Amino acid sequence: MRTRTARSFLAVLLVASAFRSTEAQDPRLSNRLDAPTRKALSALVDSARAQGIPVEPLMEKVYQGLAMGADGSRIVVAVRSLTFEMGNAHRVLGAVATTDELKAAASAVHAGVPAVELGKMKKQSGLRRSLTLPFTVLADIVSRGVPVAAATNAIKSLVGAGAKDKDISDFQRNVSVDIEKGAQPAAAAETRAKGAVAPTPKTENREHE
Amino acid sequence: MQGPTGMESSDAALVARVLHGEVNAYSALVSRYRDKYARYAVHMLGNREDAEEALQDAFTRAYRSLARCEDPERFGAWLFRILVNRCRTSGARRVRRGQTFVHDETALLNASEEHPAEQTMWREEIERALGELSADQREAFLLKYVEELGYDEMAEITGVGVSALKMRVMRACDRLRVLLREVHSA
Amino acid sequence: MPDWGRTTLELMVQELQHPVRLDESFDRRVMVRVRRLYAERRRRGIIGWLGAAANISRRPAWAAALAAGVVAVISVGMFRRPPHPMPAGQTIAVQFVLVAPEARSVAVVGDFNNWGLGDTALVAENHNGVWSVSAPVHTGVHRYAFLVNGKQWVADPTAPRSAGDDFGQPSSALVVEASTQ
Repeated sequence: MRTRTARSFLAVLLVASAFRSTEAQDPRLSNRLDAPTRKALSALVDSARAQGIPVEPLMEKVYQGLAMGADGSRIVVAVRSLTFEMGNAHRVLGAVATTDELKAAASAVHAGVPAVELGKMKKQSGLRRSLTLPFTVLADIVSRGVPVAAATNAIKSLVGAGAKDKDISDFQRNVSVDIEKGAQPAAAAETRAKGAVAPTPKTENREHE
Repeated sequence: MQGPTGMESSDAALVARVLHGEVNAYSALVSRYRDKYARYAVHMLGNREDAEEALQDAFTRAYRSLARCEDPERFGAWLFRILVNRCRTSGARRVRRGQTFVHDETALLNASEEHPAEQTMWREEIERALGELSADQREAFLLKYVEELGYDEMAEITGVGVSALKMRVMRACDRLRVLLREVHSA
Repeated sequence: MPDWGRTTLELMVQELQHPVRLDESFDRRVMVRVRRLYAERRRRGIIGWLGAAANISRRPAWAAALAAGVVAVISVGMFRRPPHPMPAGQTIAVQFVLVAPEARSVAVVGDFNNWGLGDTALVAENHNGVWSVSAPVHTGVHRYAFLVNGKQWVADPTAPRSAGDDFGQPSSALVVEASTQ
């Protein structure tokens, strides 16, 4: 018990220092954040680390908020939201998920994709494959208007068919162009996913004709 | 930028350091010549934006060709030659684009605190008159009287013979006399 | 100088000889370009470049090592992968491009440079309205945006949108892969 208490205490110290050490590296952070904001952010960082969530994406969100002129309370809301989304992603993806996968998964969750669907995709793809890019594309096409279900099915079918990241990147570009040209988002995603996973037609031998 | 002895480094020393891979040493050369040559570029091109672009371009080209600078102790003069060429190219581009010589920006650059309105008007007249010169005449006039170069230096920089340069300077002065006289008699 | 107008011309020259001061950001913009050239040379191998220098008497020991370094430049689309698998934690050079003919300045900020805090913004250079800048970016997924004229946030039209609380401003997502899929 004593050992566990000591370990927890140490963890809290390390976590609390995560935010403060960043402040020390960039004094402008402390100049630009008021005390209540800093306190709230420290608490969020503590909580994230305690859950096993990487804190670097949270600090990136702070920097983003500062750069975009958001006030302290707005930044806290954004960081809290990200912590929640990453927490959800972490629960379904497990400890094997990388920081980047969690970041990308959090984006998809924020866009409205149920975390459980992301977990299913991870199981389907196996441990070796990173789903950072598929999750990023999923978040993107949902934000362009593809319904969550259609988007999730499209990405699932691509991942399930063993599509490479390059193919999924091309899929994203094609879908966004189609939508810009006026295609219905769902139709664009479904059509392009079919094309991306369709087997290559055999070339007919016409030499004898 | 100071070398190990604490003294300000010569152009040759800085060039040597850059060529040895110390890319950040180049910033000392940029600081050293930035304002000095900005003046020429601004008056030659008539607006600050084009001048900055030409000057940036010149510094970049100088870096790219640094190994071919034959006399690093005279890096400044070598850089100036590159800048003069860039200004020629930029001037030609403006003619093709059909832009006129813009005066407003340069008029604001050195407004006198004592008589700002008068000084601004005078500056505008000067810039307008400069803009009326051909690019060759303007270049020769600026190099001779504003940058105070000798004709031999001007010939080295521009690649034009001394006689031709003297002719351009003379014609520039004649033209400016007429232009400024017209302004004052109007 | 000729007779008439000598005083006027002298006054004119005096006026024109006033110093012109440029903003210190000019130096930074030049050094961004210069450092990019330096990185390109390192990628291609600097042996030829240094060898041509007449006033270099010896080649630094690290020159050959630098010449063997690999920095890949890929500039199309949102997905960046180096030509050779690289371990996680490496960087690859990424080119950011924005077409904005009316812009006076364009910078790129994002997760990879603390969103420009601490003066780390990547300043793009303008080529006839096409603004671009290349920079090494660590492997991973990054949110980023263009900052036009110092105040307008613009997402990268060629990249996926970043979904997340973006404080009411648009931003994009960039994925830099560490290894071949």
